[in-house]
Amino acid sequence: MSARGPRDDGAGGDRRSFLRGALAAGVAGSLAGASASAAAAPADRATTPPARPFHGVHQAGVLDRSRPRTIVVSLDVIASGRGELTEFFRTLTDRARTLTAGGAPDDSGISGPPPDSGVLGPDVPAGGLTVTVGVGASLFDDRYGLASRKPAGLKPMRMFPNDDLDPDWCHGDVSLQLSAEDDDTVVHALRDIARHTRGAAQIRWRMSGFTSPPRPSGTPRNLMGFKDGISNPDATSAAEMDRLVWADRSREPAWTAGGSYVVIRLIRMLVEFWDRVGITEQEQMFGRDRATGAPLDGTREADEPRFAEDPIGKVIPLTSHIRMANPRTPQTADSRILRRSYNYDRGVDSVGDLDMGLVFTCYQQNPERQFEAVQERLIDEPLVDYITPFGGGYFFALPGARDSKDFLGRTLLA
Amino acid sequence: MRTPFLVVSVALLLASAGDARPTLGAPRPAAIEASTTGCGTGWTHPHAGGQVLTLRNDGATAAGVMLVDPSSGAVYAEVEGLGPGVTRRLHLSLGGGTYAFRCEDDRAGDPVTGPSVRIAGGRGSSVAVLPVTNNDLYAPARAYSKYVDAGLDRLIAATDRLRAAVDDGDLGAARTAWTPAHVSYERLGAAYGTFGDFDGAINGGPAGLPKGVHDPDFTGFHRLEYGLWHGESAASLRKVADRLAHDTRALKSDFPHQRMDPADLPLRAHEILENTLQFQLTGTADQGSGTTLRTAAANVEGTREVLGVLRPVLRDRYPALSQVDTWLDRLDAQLKGRSSVDGLSTAERERLNGTAGRLLELLAPIATLAEPRRVS
Repeated sequence: MSARGPRDDGAGGDRRSFLRGALAAGVAGSLAGASASAAAAPADRATTPPARPFHGVHQAGVLDRSRPRTIVVSLDVIASGRGELTEFFRTLTDRARTLTAGGAPDDSGISGPPPDSGVLGPDVPAGGLTVTVGVGASLFDDRYGLASRKPAGLKPMRMFPNDDLDPDWCHGDVSLQLSAEDDDTVVHALRDIARHTRGAAQIRWRMSGFTSPPRPSGTPRNLMGFKDGISNPDATSAAEMDRLVWADRSREPAWTAGGSYVVIRLIRMLVEFWDRVGITEQEQMFGRDRATGAPLDGTREADEPRFAEDPIGKVIPLTSHIRMANPRTPQTADSRILRRSYNYDRGVDSVGDLDMGLVFTCYQQNPERQFEAVQERLIDEPLVDYITPFGGGYFFALPGARDSKDFLGRTLLA
Repeated sequence: MRTPFLVVSVALLLASAGDARPTLGAPRPAAIEASTTGCGTGWTHPHAGGQVLTLRNDGATAAGVMLVDPSSGAVYAEVEGLGPGVTRRLHLSLGGGTYAFRCEDDRAGDPVTGPSVRIAGGRGSSVAVLPVTNNDLYAPARAYSKYVDAGLDRLIAATDRLRAAVDDGDLGAARTAWTPAHVSYERLGAAYGTFGDFDGAINGGPAGLPKGVHDPDFTGFHRLEYGLWHGESAASLRKVADRLAHDTRALKSDFPHQRMDPADLPLRAHEILENTLQFQLTGTADQGSGTTLRTAAANVEGTREVLGVLRPVLRDRYPALSQVDTWLDRLDAQLKGRSSVDGLSTAERERLNGTAGRLLELLAPIATLAEPRRVS
């Protein structure tokens, strides 16, 4: 493949250039057909991330590059009947709209406890928050009469041979991803949304994640020390996104227009084991140089690997991750996925090893054609000894809310 | 925060904190006066819509100040314990109407109502609620005390049956008698100090005791539960049962002297079920009987009683009261026929937890809006 996502080079490590990337992705979303959104008008760009426009054909947070902080949540809907389900999506949208715009909430006087947790102070800055909502296959069971409206490719996450899935960390009726510049922004948003939707949905599982700053430049590194997500489709190309990310009108129910499939995989990395592996073996497992991120046949991370010139894998082994995941052939071009992964870090396991890894998130037009095809090629890759996928799910990221009267899920529930 | 006397003590602390006063001569931003002298003066440009009003107490003692509708006395906003020299901001969204500030200090004098301010046009989202007085809560508190008193008689009778079974050495009968006795206590809605030290002795858990379930200070229903469901002998449990029966009688004879503080009643509206969510729906209170959901159902009964006696006060003040009833019914339906969270599916527990959570969100405002306030 030749196209790549927006990327910071050496000069791009600061917060504001990151935001430019996020906004560029947002603009790309608009170009793909969104109604024009109000331009962000931050009071102080130097200290306050601008509000990310909420309305559009697509949801924010799909094309946006991974933000410094995220929370991924899976919810089970407990709403009683279709009316309460609709109310849930309306409330969720109202809160997302309010939170992503920011602004001081009114005092509640003596009518009740304060309406806001206060975590972000009295003025509640938007903090660059994005809220991205998806629906899982289980929402289309017999509870809400939605069976006939299920997106063509939506199903429960498959179990792959190298997985060790824990049911408590899998699936869910609704996915909710909150991303922003700061931890307090996403935590505040989660508390607010949970409070307003209590009784309609319960959190099934959740994972906090972060994106490292470029070290020293370029694509951020994962917790194995390798740059992760170097080779991504070009999120600024509307045509490429139409081919690879947005729902395919010829195959999907009409209500899905503007949506996308999101695959979330919670992947534990056995970092102690990994740190005991020699550098050559590490690099051959990935197919990249750890220091620069360059493919083993190149010198810069942006260099395209030339697999055709190395048919027996003398330089980049045939079993390396980058070669198995994306062989760069015409036949595999339509299996490319838009990766938006985060690192996670959450304490220790029962033998005292660190529990950390990857919240792998990718967007695509068709999970079988894309994520699953990639994952099948990766079965039994050498890297599997050092990673354990244990949770996650398949969801369909809803079309965006067009304007202040619209709500996420309207076309699904109409 | 849970008890009104704390608010008073904070006010007194602020009143004595002399360094909270700004240095004389320093420029002061425009603010609305919150002391009893000049109450409400300085509101320069009253207008409809979202706004921030800055209040400052230029008096010598702590002040309480409310923004009210002077015709009805309904309260839009309140600041308690505003210390001398202290400034506080209110975020409000005011609609067209008449407004006035009402100020009181911590001395005996009556509250002072400042000048009425007319605002034209516009709709606001700030809600005004008619304040509840101590007087309003006397009758509900009396009715609730009566409920507790009658419940204590049933508790004593049920606990006596439990003790008799233990004394007889019939541990099967004791296990059968344990649950009705325990839920007769849980129905009383004891939360956060209603029954003082008796609650710990009668219904405490092992948390906070150095030797846990084997700590000599672990007493009451849960100590007995632990023994009855962990193979302890009748002989070893006799003392526990005797002590429990004794403590329930002591509670009964002590209760009239405790005289429930009417101000506690609105707090109970959500606090009883906050405990239920924390200890019963999680299953952590279980010491072997597997009855935490029966406890939860008894707690719902206690909450219903609190709401029942408060209903006359809430009816015209709390628009979500009918939703409270709906979700109480839902929670009851979720609990019906269930005893333990063990064996419930993930979906069943999610429904139960989410129902309790929503109910708590709906109950919480009652604590704020029915907190007794001085109006004259």
